Amino acid sequence: MTSTFTNPPATHGRAAEPSAVVAAEVSKVYGSGDAAVHALRGVSVGFARGAFTAIMGPSGSGKSTLMHCLAGLDTVSGGRVTLGDAELTAMNDKQLTLLRRDRIGFIFQAFNLLPTLTAEQNILLPLELAGRKLDRAWFDQVIDVVGLRERLGHRPNELSGGQQQRVACARALVARPEVIFADEPTGNLDSRSGAEVLGFLRASVREMGQTIVMVTHDPVAASYADRVVFLRDGQIVTELFQPTPDTVLDRLKSLGA
Amino acid sequence: MFKTTLAGLAAHKLRLLLTALAITLGVGFISGTFVLTDAMRSGVDKTFATSAGKVDVAVLPKRDGGEIPASMLARVKDVSGVTAAEGLVKGDAALIGRDGKAVGDMPTVGMSVPAGRLLRYELDGGRAPKGPSETVLDTHLAKREKFKVGDAVTVLDHKNGPHRFTVVGLVDMGMDRDASMQGAVGFDAATAATMTGVRTFTEIDVLGGGRDAVQKAVGPDHDALTGKGLAQRLSKANGADTAIIQTGLLLFGLVAMLVSALVIYNTFAILIAQRTREMALLRCVGATRRQVFGGVLVEAVVVGLVGSLLGLVAGLGLGAGALGVIGSFDTGLKLGGPGLTGRTVLVALLVGVLVTVASALLPARAATRVAPIAALRADLEPGSGRFRLGWVRTILTALFCLGGLGLAGLGGFGSDKGESPMYMVAVGGMLFFVGVVAAMPALVRPLGRLVGAVPARTGGVPARLAVENAQRSPRRTATTTIALTIGIGLMSLFSVVAASGTATANAQLDEHFPVDFQIESQFGGGKPADDATHRVPAGLVANLRALPQLGQVTESREAGRPKKGGRDTTVQTVTASSFGSLIKVTADAGTVSAPEPGTLIVDRETARSKGYKVGQTVQVRGDRGSAPIRVAGIFRGDVPLHGVLVNEADFQRVSAVRDAAVVWAKVKPGVQVDDARRAVDDAARAYPTIRVGSMAELRDQFTKAVNVLLMVFGGLLGLAIVIALFGIANTLSLSVVERTRESALLRALGLTRRQLRRMLSVEALVMSVIGALTGVFLGVGFGWAATSAMSESAVFSVPYAQIIGFVVLAGVAGVLAAVMPARRAAKASVVESLSAG
Repeated sequence: MTSTFTNPPATHGRAAEPSAVVAAEVSKVYGSGDAAVHALRGVSVGFARGAFTAIMGPSGSGKSTLMHCLAGLDTVSGGRVTLGDAELTAMNDKQLTLLRRDRIGFIFQAFNLLPTLTAEQNILLPLELAGRKLDRAWFDQVIDVVGLRERLGHRPNELSGGQQQRVACARALVARPEVIFADEPTGNLDSRSGAEVLGFLRASVREMGQTIVMVTHDPVAASYADRVVFLRDGQIVTELFQPTPDTVLDRLKSLGA
Repeated sequence: MFKTTLAGLAAHKLRLLLTALAITLGVGFISGTFVLTDAMRSGVDKTFATSAGKVDVAVLPKRDGGEIPASMLARVKDVSGVTAAEGLVKGDAALIGRDGKAVGDMPTVGMSVPAGRLLRYELDGGRAPKGPSETVLDTHLAKREKFKVGDAVTVLDHKNGPHRFTVVGLVDMGMDRDASMQGAVGFDAATAATMTGVRTFTEIDVLGGGRDAVQKAVGPDHDALTGKGLAQRLSKANGADTAIIQTGLLLFGLVAMLVSALVIYNTFAILIAQRTREMALLRCVGATRRQVFGGVLVEAVVVGLVGSLLGLVAGLGLGAGALGVIGSFDTGLKLGGPGLTGRTVLVALLVGVLVTVASALLPARAATRVAPIAALRADLEPGSGRFRLGWVRTILTALFCLGGLGLAGLGGFGSDKGESPMYMVAVGGMLFFVGVVAAMPALVRPLGRLVGAVPARTGGVPARLAVENAQRSPRRTATTTIALTIGIGLMSLFSVVAASGTATANAQLDEHFPVDFQIESQFGGGKPADDATHRVPAGLVANLRALPQLGQVTESREAGRPKKGGRDTTVQTVTASSFGSLIKVTADAGTVSAPEPGTLIVDRETARSKGYKVGQTVQVRGDRGSAPIRVAGIFRGDVPLHGVLVNEADFQRVSAVRDAAVVWAKVKPGVQVDDARRAVDDAARAYPTIRVGSMAELRDQFTKAVNVLLMVFGGLLGLAIVIALFGIANTLSLSVVERTRESALLRALGLTRRQLRRMLSVEALVMSVIGALTGVFLGVGFGWAATSAMSESAVFSVPYAQIIGFVVLAGVAGVLAAVMPARRAAKASVVESLSAG
C-alpha cells in the first residue's frame, strides 16, 4: 500500500510543539490495603500535537492502564490528565463519554467493529453518534488510502483480520479527532498486514498532522513512531526519539524486559 | 461429571434462579389451583359431614333427581327403633321482595325445615318454623333482600297465590345447591307441601333404627344411607362442581406451562451456545458425549426442582390469596384453610421437573455436538447469522400452515355452522400456530424490519443498532417472541370473538327484532317450563294491548309436550300482524310470511332434525291433540323463534295454552320510552312474577357479562404473558453478557450510558411488538373464522382499541423487562469489559 494523503488538512504544518495530551503525576491504584496494586506511580508525560508516540514496556508495566487513563476510559487515583483545554480527571462519566465521542479516536487490538454493521456503517458510527455531518470528500480520501472502497458493504465476519483493522483505522481517521489512541493495533495481524496498518498511521501523522498515541510491545511497530516512551513498574523510565527496531530492542533489553 | 455440573450451578446461582422463575410461575399457578379447590372442597365437605352427622339414616331415591312417594314415610316410621323421621319437601315458592316483585330470575326454593334434632342446617338466628304462618329465610337471601327475624313477608304458592308469613329464623341453607343459587324459604313439612304443591319427598331423614332395617323397609328403588354415607354422597356431587372450576383453571395453567417451556428451552439453548468453550474443554479433557448430555440434563433437573419448590411456595401464597379474596365477598361458600396435599406436591414437582427436562432435551443434544477443538477456536458469536429454513422444515411448515388454513377456512366459511365447524377452526388454528412456530426464525428479519422501521428512523443510532440486534439471532428472537405470541394471541382471539358476539346479538336485535320491551315470567325452577305459573297471563297481555303508550304488542304462545330428557319440538304461534314489522324472518326455502291456517313455517335446525320439506304435510302435536299441517316455508335461525310456527287457529286446535310465553312491545311513535316503561310496569304490578325488560337493559347486561368473562380470561392469561416477559428479560440479559465487549466498544466510541440503556429498551420493544403483532394477527384471523363458524348471521367485529391496547401494553411491558438487563449493561466498566473474553 503506497497511497498517501494529499491535501493535508489545516492542522498540518503547525509545529509539533504544544502537547495534545498531558498527564501530570498520574497514579492508579487497584484494590486497597495489603492487596493494593499500584499500576501507575506518578506518571508525568506530554504527547506532542501532530506526533506519533509509542508507549512501550514489559507486561504489567502499566502501559495499557496509562492509555486508558489518558483516553478517559478509566479514572485515575491521583494526578491530572488534560486533553487540550479539557481536564479529564475532573469530568463525570457522561462528560467523558461525550469527550471521547467528539475528540478522541480509538483503534483496539481486537474486536474493533460491531458485527451487525457493515464496514461503512462502522466507519461512520462515531460521526453518527455525535450527530456530525460527514465530509464526503474526506471520507472518500480516507477510504482510498486504506483501500476499502470494494469492501464497504461487507460485514466484519466477511473481512480478513487486516481488513478489519484497516476499517478501524478509517473509523478513527474519518472523525478527525484531536488524538487517536491505538492499543496494540497490530497485535493480531501478520507482519504484512501489520506493516500496512502502521504505514497508514504514520502517513496520517506526517501528512495530516494527526496526533497518535500507540501502546505496543513490538519493537518493529514502535519504530514507526516519532518517539517511544518506556514504562516499567508504573513509572516512565526513559524515552527514545526517531527509533529503529534495533535501538528500541536495545533499550528494552537494558530495561530487563 | 455430576460434581462438575453442580459446581457450575453453584457458581451461577443468579442464572439458575432467573431460569427457574419461569417454571416457578407456571407451577405456582397449577399448585395454587389445587390449593384453592382443595380448600373449597374440604370446607364444603366439613359442612356436609357436620350436617349429615345429625341423622342416623337417610333415605334417598336411587336416581339423582328422583322422588320418594309420601307413603314411604309411614313405612320408615314403622321400622322398629326409629324415634323420628321426616320427609324433605322441595319445590318452587317465590319470595316477594321489598319492591313487590318476585326475587331473582328464578323463583326461590321452598323447602321443609324440620325442628329439633333433625334440623340439618345451621340456624343463624331465631328458631325453626312451625305452623302455617311461620317461615325461615336462607341467611344470604335475607341479607340480600334486607329481611330480618320478625319481618312479615309474602311468598307465592305454586298457583301464584300470595301468602303472608312471619320470619321466625334465619337458616344457612347454602349447602343445598338449588338453595344457594336461587335462595330459599323454609316451612314446616305440611306448609311446605301446600306452598310448593309437591307431594313427594327428596329425602327422608331418620333418627334411631338401623340402616339395614330401613333399607329393607324402603325396598330396592331407594337407598338407605348412614350419616357418613350421606355426607359422602353429598360431597361427591359437590366435588363435580369443584372439578369443573379446577379443570378450567388448569387449562390456563397448561398455557402458562407451555410458555414456560418455551422460555426454558430458549434459556438453555442460549446458555449452551455461550458455554461452547466450556463444553469443548470438558470434551478435551475426556468427557464423553453422553456425559456432556447428562450434565445438561442434571442441570435441568436441578433448575426444575428449584423452580417447582419455589412454585409450590408461590402456589400456597396464591391459593391463600384467592381464598382471602373469595372469603371477603359474602358468597356463602364454605372454605377450608389453604394447605398442600401430597397430590399437590407430587403434581407440582412432576410437572415442573418434566417440563424443564423436556425443554432442555434439544439444547442438551446440541451440547453433545460441540467438537473438542472448539475450545481452541476464537469465539464466534453464538446463534448468529442468517437463518434459512431447510427444505424439510419448509415443507413441514407449509403443510402445517396450509392444513391449518384449509381446516379453519372450511370450518369458518363452509356451509355448516355450529359446534363442529368451531372445533375445526380451533384445530386449524393450532396447526397453523405450529407452522408459525416453525417458520418464525425466518420471519424475524422481515418482521423486525417492519416493527423497527419507526424506531430506527426516529431513535437515532442506538435505536438503529437495537433493531439490528433484535434480528441478529433469528432463532433466539423467534422463541422469545413466540412465548409472547401465545398469550397475546389468545387474548385477541377472545376479545374478537366477544366483540363479534356482542355485535352479532345487537345486529340481530336491530334488524330482525326491533322491539323495545320484553315481558316474561320468572323462569321455571324445578318444574317443567310450560307450567302455567311461568307464563304471562292472557289478562295481562290484553291490558298491555290496551295501553295507549304502546304501539305494536306481540305475544308468543308455546306448547310443548313434556318428554324424557328435555322437550319435544315446541309448537309456537305469534301474533300474525307483527310478521314483517316487529319480527323479520329470512327465508331459507319456501315462503315465510305469517302462517295461514293449515300451514306452518319452521326454523332450519328443526326442519333438518325432523326431515321436514317445504310442501310436505306433517302431524303437529301439542298438549291437547294433533293436526296435519302443511310446511309452507323454512326460515333461518336469526330470530328468537324456534320450532314449529303455526297459525293461531291451528294452535288452539292442538293446545289448551292461552297464556303467552313472552310478550314483545314497541313504544308508540311520539311517546317517551320512560313513560311507556312506567305504564308497562304499572300494568304488570299485579303480577309479581312478571319481569319487564327493556332491550337497552338486555344489551347492557349482555355486554357486561361478556366483559366480565373477558376480564377473567385476561387475568388468567396475564400469567402466560408475564412468563413470556420473563423470557424477554432472560434472553436480553444473556445477550448483554454475550455482547459485553461490543457494549464496551460502543461506550469507548462515545455511546452514553443512557443511550446504551435505550438501545436495550428498543431491542426489547421490537421483540415484544413482533411477538404481540404475530399474536394479534393469529388471534384476529382465527377469531374471524371462529365467529363465522358460529352462525351464518354472525357479524365480525374487531375491538380495535383493545387490540391496539394489547400491542402497546406488550411494548411497554417489553421495555420494562429490559430495565434490569439494561442497568447491568450500563453499569459495566468499559476498561474491564474491553479486556474480557
